[in-house]
Amino acid sequence: MTITAETGPPTRAAAPVGRLLAAEVRWVFRRPRTLVTLGLFALIPVLIAIGVVVADRDGGGGLIGAVAGNGLVLPIAALTVALALLLPLAVAMAAADALAGEAANGTLRGLLLAPVSRLRLVGVKAFGVLVVAAAVALAIAVVGVLAGMVVVGSADGGMVTLSGTTLGLAAGLARVALVTVWVVGQLAAVGAVALAVSSLTEHPLVVLASVLGGLIAFGVLSAIPALDWLQPWLLTSGWSAGADALRDPITLDAMGSSTLRALCYAAIGVGFTLWRMQRRDA
Amino acid sequence: MTTLPVREAARVTAAPAARAVGLRKVYGRTVAVAGLDLEVPTGAVLGMLGPNGSGKTTLIRMLLGLTRPTAGTAELLGHPLPGVAAALPHVGALVEGPGFHPFLSGRENLRRLAAAEPLLDAAAIPRAVGAALDRVGLAHAADRRFRGYSLGMKQRLGLAGALLVPRRLVVLDEPTNGLDPAGTRDVRAIIAELHAAGSTVIVSSHLLAEVEATCTHVAVLQSGTLVAAGELRGLLDAGTGGLVVVTPDVEPALRALAEAGAVASRDTGGEPGVVVTDGPEPPEIVALLVRAGVAVHEARRRRPRLEELFAQLTEGS
Amino acid sequence: MAVGTAGRLWARIGTGMAIAGAVGLGLVAMPAGAGAAPNLPPVSPEDLVASVEKADPGPLNGTVELDNALGLPAIPGAPDLANGTKEARVWSDGTGKGRVALPSDQGEKTLVSDGTTAWSYDSTDRTATKKAVTPGEHRPEAADPTRSAADAITELRTTSTVTVDGTAEVAGRPAYELVLAPKPTERTLLREVRIAVDSEKRIPLRLTVLATGSADPAFEVGFTDLTFGPQDPSLFTFTPPPGTTVKDAPQGDRTPGGKPAGAAPTVVGDGWDTVVIAKRPAPEQAPQGTPDLSRLGTPVSGSWGSGRLVTTAVASAILTDDGRVAAGAVPEQVLTEALSK
Repeated sequence: MTITAETGPPTRAAAPVGRLLAAEVRWVFRRPRTLVTLGLFALIPVLIAIGVVVADRDGGGGLIGAVAGNGLVLPIAALTVALALLLPLAVAMAAADALAGEAANGTLRGLLLAPVSRLRLVGVKAFGVLVVAAAVALAIAVVGVLAGMVVVGSADGGMVTLSGTTLGLAAGLARVALVTVWVVGQLAAVGAVALAVSSLTEHPLVVLASVLGGLIAFGVLSAIPALDWLQPWLLTSGWSAGADALRDPITLDAMGSSTLRALCYAAIGVGFTLWRMQRRDA
Repeated sequence: MTTLPVREAARVTAAPAARAVGLRKVYGRTVAVAGLDLEVPTGAVLGMLGPNGSGKTTLIRMLLGLTRPTAGTAELLGHPLPGVAAALPHVGALVEGPGFHPFLSGRENLRRLAAAEPLLDAAAIPRAVGAALDRVGLAHAADRRFRGYSLGMKQRLGLAGALLVPRRLVVLDEPTNGLDPAGTRDVRAIIAELHAAGSTVIVSSHLLAEVEATCTHVAVLQSGTLVAAGELRGLLDAGTGGLVVVTPDVEPALRALAEAGAVASRDTGGEPGVVVTDGPEPPEIVALLVRAGVAVHEARRRRPRLEELFAQLTEGS
Repeated sequence: MAVGTAGRLWARIGTGMAIAGAVGLGLVAMPAGAGAAPNLPPVSPEDLVASVEKADPGPLNGTVELDNALGLPAIPGAPDLANGTKEARVWSDGTGKGRVALPSDQGEKTLVSDGTTAWSYDSTDRTATKKAVTPGEHRPEAADPTRSAADAITELRTTSTVTVDGTAEVAGRPAYELVLAPKPTERTLLREVRIAVDSEKRIPLRLTVLATGSADPAFEVGFTDLTFGPQDPSLFTFTPPPGTTVKDAPQGDRTPGGKPAGAAPTVVGDGWDTVVIAKRPAPEQAPQGTPDLSRLGTPVSGSWGSGRLVTTAVASAILTDDGRVAAGAVPEQVLTEALSK
């Protein structure tokens, strides 16, 4: 599969990658499902904000409790809450549509016949899933910051950490950005594994069910004390690390190791997808 | 078409547009295609015939590199199988029905496909999409969602997808599925245009009349094997035709023929007459009838319809 | 395309990626293997102990991990005592100011001492508790390996065989392994206490308690990460953030992470077989959150009365029906003897 320069069209054996990526992103965001998902995710921080204001500090402990009167914590709390189930499902849905859904529609065939090489197809699809992951995480973060500042309000315009110190607005926003990037990394791992499942089936629901089942299985495994040794292998065991961004001084160990773990999961997922797509009938 | 125009004759001698050598595909215990050899000459319009499940689609999918053959090799526009992708920019295909996204309009769907076409420049995409839509008669519905398309419109859009770029080879799997008679005529016209422009066309169909009307070559599949392949005229001529004699004196004619030891019967269709299926050569038969005082209005060699040929080929095995 | 040479290559690259990912996951998951025992100049146990008592590490910060395998029964209301691992981040300026952060999944307890005032902040209910401390009574750290190891050495020296058993690497620092084993006359459930002492700064880096009959530590507290050097002074001050309930800790109430200060307990014996006998507060007087102990253990009785015996890997306790509690790192018999005195 040689990629020739964009000059003489008749000699070109593949469409420019940039054009493929742009078409994929366009397709992703024209899908009504994606837009509805984005809207629903933007609602999460708003609902939490309203809940916190209504409950007025009786919201109990946990990160949600820390949001009261401390709006900049809202995006981080909302991301952490959504990371447990909703965000992975959104990414799994994107991955399900990316290969299984296209196969079911018969559109995968069209792309392969264009032709888009199978390697590029995996690359383009992985990129599309990553874009969805970033979009949903950003939706929560941005709406979270706005809802936090407007609905909840913040102490002196800053962020009160779990350690009892107060950070300025810029430092607080930097913490939010850090958590958002970290969440996208975790979602990339989920997306890559979901893409691998997606390359095995023509039924998008199988992908959703697998990711949901995997999350439940990981949750069960991590709850069994005898299987403590398994913890460091489980993607989900690092998912509480987002709270570390609310500590002062900040500790990056847990976010760092969970990001490394996520990268490994992503490599496994994309590697398997590559291997599988070279063989797949379309 | 016993004498090809010079232009086409020159091309036929070049590498075939598609070739299968010992191509075989087994799914579990089911043999979909059982070691098949086929050549599609460049410039030909090949009609691929066969009952459902005879392996037409599997064969096409293997030729296009969508399915890995269990054994054998295929070649597309001179590129052997491991690298058929190199030929795909020049190949337009409509395989196993049109695949499009229901939430996008016909135009958006085509644009997405066009973005992946190596031979289209980004600037040329809107024009190419518009032209393809015009060509299949979908311009009026181009901006409606695919979800709301009728079966025929979906089929037309699929055809448009195959025609986004001038192609050297167009593969159409059951292109007239769901089309009304007008649509079928349009497809025939498009195939004729492609043929006139020098493209090779492979059409699989179960509608024999359609193949007979548009094809220069025929390949007949039965249970994954090729039972006949070649030029349409040649195949039809080789079939047992017989002689049709138009005459008002049916009874005397039958008597005379029976006496001469020929096998004949009353022609049930059209004008009154007899059909001689076995016996002496036609000139002797005509002489014999004239001697017997039968008024011979017309005598012609009967060509079998493709339908009969197909029935012979697929039922005989 | 389907089986092209490029395709085969990429299938192989895909396989390679997946395998690399799996191996990488293993590397992330596996704890970093303990490096080879460092080579250090030999030191006598006496010198090592003496240097530990004189050690002044100066400012430092680090992460302490506490690994509890004491096998305490799950006590309602006191989940912190159950088996498990806990982590604390500590900062010290070396002159009595300190900060400890006890992170939990969704919150944090922060203890800050600026030398005169000790603050305790709990993020879950956003309360800050303030208490005056007299210099010298500093170190709010409950789980400070430096502190607990130094205490153990002082406490156990006279009744122990003290040896230096090779070297170890703790938190990336070379250390001597100081081993305190009970003298044969001591009647205890413990086999030995191992203390890893930093070879340069001479502060204990890790304390390991081993019980008889088990190769795995029953209790271990040590640094997993340690840096010496000046600390940001702002770490040792605390200003209650907006929206915080500030309380003054009344005298005689619980100290942060400490035990209820009640009637002074009686100590019977010394060294390894020390038994502590204390009065239990009556249930109705017990402060909110005191664990309910009335259903634990097995019934026992003797000349001293009757009660319930609770045993763990390293300790036993008898809760008598007349409201006393006797506990120690000793077998049941030593407890009953102490109660009979």
